[in-house]
Amino acid sequence: MRRLTFVAAILACLITPAAAQTAKQMLTIDAPNDAATLDPHLQWDADSYGVYRNIFDNLLTRDATGKIVPQIATAWRFVDDTHVEFDIRPDVKFQDGTPLAAEDVVFSIKRITNPAFKSPQLSQFDQIADAQALGSAKVHLTMKTPYPVLLAQLVKLSIVPKAYVERVGDQEFNLKPLGSGPYKLREWQKGVQVTLDANASYWRGKPPFGTVIFRAVPDVSTRVADLKTGRADLIRLLPPDEAIALRSDARLAVLTVPTERVGYLFINAQAGPTTDVRVRRAIAHAIDKQALVEALLQGFGKPVNSIGAEPIFGYVPAIAGYDYDPAKARALIKDAGAEGATITFLTSPAYDRRVVEAIQQMINDVRLKAEIVVLDQATFLRRRQGMPADAGGLALGVWSCACQDADGTIFPLFRSGSTWSKYSNPTYDAAVDAARSTLDEAKRLAEYRKAYEILREDVPGLGLYQAFASYGARKELKWQPTPNESLFVMDMSWQ
Amino acid sequence: MLRYVAHRLLQAIIAVFGVLTIVFIVMRFSGDPTLLLVPEGASQEAIDALRTELGFDRPVMVQYIDYLRSLSHFDFGVSVVQRIPAFDIVAARIPYTVLLAAGAIVIAVGVGIPVGIAMAVRRGRWLERSLAAVVLTGQSMPSFLSGILLILVFGVILGWLPTSGAGDLKALVLPSIALGALSMSTFARMARISIVDELGKDYVRAGRARGLSLAGVVRRHILRNAAIPIVTIAALEIGNLLAGAVIVETVFAWPGIGQLAIQSIQSRDFLVVQVIVLLISFVYVVTSLLADVAYALIDPRIRLAR
Repeated sequence: MRRLTFVAAILACLITPAAAQTAKQMLTIDAPNDAATLDPHLQWDADSYGVYRNIFDNLLTRDATGKIVPQIATAWRFVDDTHVEFDIRPDVKFQDGTPLAAEDVVFSIKRITNPAFKSPQLSQFDQIADAQALGSAKVHLTMKTPYPVLLAQLVKLSIVPKAYVERVGDQEFNLKPLGSGPYKLREWQKGVQVTLDANASYWRGKPPFGTVIFRAVPDVSTRVADLKTGRADLIRLLPPDEAIALRSDARLAVLTVPTERVGYLFINAQAGPTTDVRVRRAIAHAIDKQALVEALLQGFGKPVNSIGAEPIFGYVPAIAGYDYDPAKARALIKDAGAEGATITFLTSPAYDRRVVEAIQQMINDVRLKAEIVVLDQATFLRRRQGMPADAGGLALGVWSCACQDADGTIFPLFRSGSTWSKYSNPTYDAAVDAARSTLDEAKRLAEYRKAYEILREDVPGLGLYQAFASYGARKELKWQPTPNESLFVMDMSWQ
Repeated sequence: MLRYVAHRLLQAIIAVFGVLTIVFIVMRFSGDPTLLLVPEGASQEAIDALRTELGFDRPVMVQYIDYLRSLSHFDFGVSVVQRIPAFDIVAARIPYTVLLAAGAIVIAVGVGIPVGIAMAVRRGRWLERSLAAVVLTGQSMPSFLSGILLILVFGVILGWLPTSGAGDLKALVLPSIALGALSMSTFARMARISIVDELGKDYVRAGRARGLSLAGVVRRHILRNAAIPIVTIAALEIGNLLAGAVIVETVFAWPGIGQLAIQSIQSRDFLVVQVIVLLISFVYVVTSLLADVAYALIDPRIRLAR
């Protein structure tokens, strides 16, 4: 299939397409899937988020540089370690004309943190113990413990209108969402497209396009064909092959951005031959990250030294990685008496098979024997998060907490007791615990530095690359994609 | 005749019950969807809480009995991903799949049977050989390739037809051809074989001897006799069209049940997958039942044998 789409893409490049559309008041975006829900508290997969984030405003947001900045909250103060106050913007109206008040913010927080509501985002907000409105312009949050990632999590909290949701009910709200954002829903044709109209009285100014259409086009060759014929102006999820092919078309542009997603190799420190730290270090020396990025990601990624990347708070770029040195790896393996040892390499169809096989080859080259076991995603997750003896010796992962903080990255991956961790080191636990229980940024950075240094020595996992996100667009579209892969239409325009 | 139909109906009901059970077993034992629904890094408590909410912590037998009880009320559950009744999600896509299947049937029957007749009547001539090439292409080219080529030629190069979507009837043309090609070849081959079979029989010679034209014999006598195998194939092809639609709908971004199936499997929306599998199985059972009844109508020997 991949080869065929590639051939089709090459053919497509040789051809002059039909005239592009000139409807400048309209923007059409092709995404791989239809939105699952338009209720922002029900789903947050990329295809749903990309659409409803244009219908709703969030409490906070990130600017182009990744800094957390006001949106519905204009300012915030930590009263003490577990109490925060937010000032709510006074001039915001929902699309039905009713004003947005502190009560709506409190309602939104209570709704998403209500276990009976079953939001998949619950774990992102469950540190919030209580939310109270102080008048119509202030919200007071009480945390269970000091929680430094609160603001990063609130970037993902959309504010929904209390009165409207209570009046129409959850099911109707999902079908006819109403927010305070730059676009309002005109029509949701399930499985086909979502059509949004500009909210002319939006508080941040007039939205750039009168109409925006999000179409669901699962096949990447079809998305590319849509872009070439002008049926789409912007397409999401462009694999490297297609991106390279698109570059030769003068009317189109490939937009690429390094994300907070990190590809890593899990190495089981609590079961099998990899219990010996020398074997884990040998594996680290055996892997040629540069070659992986160049040959398989075709440059759409960047090698990393640890499990982290620039957009993630707490990441320490200065910590050295392991050089690619197969001779040293072989020596370590010999030293550990592990030559020919069999290591199970768990994977699922969710991971790039080519990367898995390349790593297997590199590991076998240093006289270990990596055996690939392919599982369905549910079984893979169950074993990977289960008992150490069942979790395999190696597994590929692409991690993103969508919070751009080490607390959402190396804490769940390696803290003792976490479902993902097959590793235990009290010094490491102390460091990541300390970093999550203070609001002092300098102290947090120091603790994460310590934590990353321990991970370097113990290698319970190995950072491989920072993933890039790619989009195909018409050349006239002015837009800079962001590391958190948002699709904010407000930030786009025709040039 | 009535006894024959009742017998077939009973068999169909047993088949449906078997399908219900197999679907339950496969869905429940292919993994716990809870882990796929929580964000990465969710705590064990959060995972357990969601699992309890969704009812996956109950014994399998309890879940099975609950499942059968719900189905007996036509309650297919609420999608854990979209939070809408699973049946409504599938029902909204049925018209698209029916439309596409209809388009494909028009191509398959409208092209396939005349081609088959022409090939049988003009056996060994250049017309048969050139049509054989068309049939072979339709039969051997996988729909993901023919789909992409059709988009490329008629959508991108010529710009005659839309590259994707489901806006108007124009958008139906390419997916119908891609989906109908395989069935078209099957119909053509079946029609050719059964007509060639009939052509050698005595009643044909007798008809020709009485001065009937070849076209007349084919129209008045052969087609009816050759119809039985074609009806069997037609019943099976409807099932195949639904199954083949998975790929074609994905390539053409056609919002039918096949595309929904893929999306629901990816997002582990297992209740929706369950409804789709039940629906497709049901269609299979019903079409085979109808085919059996149709034989009995066409050929009295079948109904009298019982």
